Amino acid sequence: MTGTSTPTLHRAASVSDEADGGGRRRGPRRPPGLPWILPALVLSVGLIYYGIGYTGYISTLNWDGISPGPEHVGAHNYTRMLHDPVFWAAVRHTALFFVLTFVVQTLVGLTFAVLMHSKLKLAAIYKVIVFVPVVLAPAIMAPVFRHMFAPDGELNAVLRHIGLGDLAQPWIGQTSTALPVIMFITIWEWTGVTFVLYYAAMTQIDPSVLEAARIDGAGNLRTLRSIIWPELRGTTVALAMLGAIGALKTFDVPYLVTIGGPNYATEFLGTYIYRQTIPLSHVGYGAALSIVLLVVALLMALALQFAGREREGR
Amino acid sequence: MFEIRSRTGRIFLQIFATVLLIPFAFPLVVMVKGAFAGEGLGNFQAVLRVPGFGRFFVNSLIIAAAVIVLVYVVTMMAAFGFAKLHIRFREVYFWLLLACLTLPEVVLLAPLFATDTKLGLYDTYWAVILPLAALQVPFAVLLTRNFINSLPDELFEAARVDGANSYRGFIYLVIPLTRPIGAAVLIFTLVAAWNDYLFPLVFLQSPDLQTITLVPQFFVGEFSNDQTKILASAVITAIPEIVAYLSLQRLFERGLSAGAIK
Repeated sequence: MTGTSTPTLHRAASVSDEADGGGRRRGPRRPPGLPWILPALVLSVGLIYYGIGYTGYISTLNWDGISPGPEHVGAHNYTRMLHDPVFWAAVRHTALFFVLTFVVQTLVGLTFAVLMHSKLKLAAIYKVIVFVPVVLAPAIMAPVFRHMFAPDGELNAVLRHIGLGDLAQPWIGQTSTALPVIMFITIWEWTGVTFVLYYAAMTQIDPSVLEAARIDGAGNLRTLRSIIWPELRGTTVALAMLGAIGALKTFDVPYLVTIGGPNYATEFLGTYIYRQTIPLSHVGYGAALSIVLLVVALLMALALQFAGREREGR
Repeated sequence: MFEIRSRTGRIFLQIFATVLLIPFAFPLVVMVKGAFAGEGLGNFQAVLRVPGFGRFFVNSLIIAAAVIVLVYVVTMMAAFGFAKLHIRFREVYFWLLLACLTLPEVVLLAPLFATDTKLGLYDTYWAVILPLAALQVPFAVLLTRNFINSLPDELFEAARVDGANSYRGFIYLVIPLTRPIGAAVLIFTLVAAWNDYLFPLVFLQSPDLQTITLVPQFFVGEFSNDQTKILASAVITAIPEIVAYLSLQRLFERGLSAGAIK
């Protein structure tokens, strides 16, 4: 669940700045800490930066992953990307996927959070149903979704049953609906996180502010727009970052539900890298794609962090 | 948040919430209904009779436990070091670690595959445990460091004046005081390790070592196109996760929002 990382990420800088100032003043009196952080650095920074460095090296090779003495091709793998329609399709899918899943999750998660704060009956059960998908492994749910969206599956059965049989279609098997299916599954999986974070953030809002707004005659929707929503900005920025990185990491669902198809309609950067690296044994090209993916992920995280901080400063 | 005074308003809100809930409940209903279709409980018996089915659970358990222990120990030490001890260029190390948060695991496939085969780690638990732990540590450290930062410095200084060295400070102050955030770290790591699919898919070849996330594929081979058996296996593998969530619900939600609340 690395995805859940981001809530604190956008504040990390300010927290560590404070600590740094304090630390420097008292610095000499504190015992040395390097040995304490060393195991974490060796494990994480060591393994991950070693992997990235190695990937960077492989990305300059024309290599199948096994044969000795691979040929050095310089930046060829990178220039090849520019003319690779599947790569650009994967980029487009990832961008569209991020925007749509983020918007829907935010709307639905926010709605649930507000509703659960409004003395709803059976709220405890509703909460469990929204959150359970978060803990279920996508790999385990994949066959369920394949079954549900199959031509003779449950969704079409329900549509026919309620007289909407005209809408029944092979959801996974056609290019026009395959990507929306992947988005639906992702929204199903992750709205629980959005909901829980908004729910928690709303408990931090001072009730007297809401009371004051109400006395001033603000209705429910007005209160939501003018008071609650602005208070949640920090959480929203964190969730945007979580969603962006999550979109770039997307692999399990498209790989298992649609295998990136039909006709590459659900190819993502993650699935494309896997396809190039493992089944096609284009390890060099896969590595070059990986490096591009990593750079995009870092830039996204930085951009969203700056966007978030600028707004907070205002 | 919302104040609904009228009865109709409350009823409307209840209906609205229920309708919104249908897409969330539907896949779960499909899963359970499909698992009981045809032979009913017989589907479950057939799945449980498959030799080696229990092995997947044992493997997931071993891997998750190892990842949790590794992440917990390494994280607590590092968070303590970052928050309360003297480190030159501390923030440089910290940002090196934070940058790892954005790393998609697929980036590590090729280098780890090449290295694992060279070191003989390929097709062992370690090939999955080490990268999983490495990817969990940065977030765990971020969370725990923030938590330890909020503990008063005086506490640690007093211990030092009383003659306690860093090691004793760690065992007698950090470990007990960080219990709430430790629980959150534990939960995140458990979910991440238990649900991971890509690393076991690539690095574990022998069926003896494979994890529960590979079960559906295993059963697609085993029962070819008998959907009901495959869905029954999905239900069986989902049960421990749902039970774990329901019994630790508080912890899950608190852990998740630990980062969001100031």
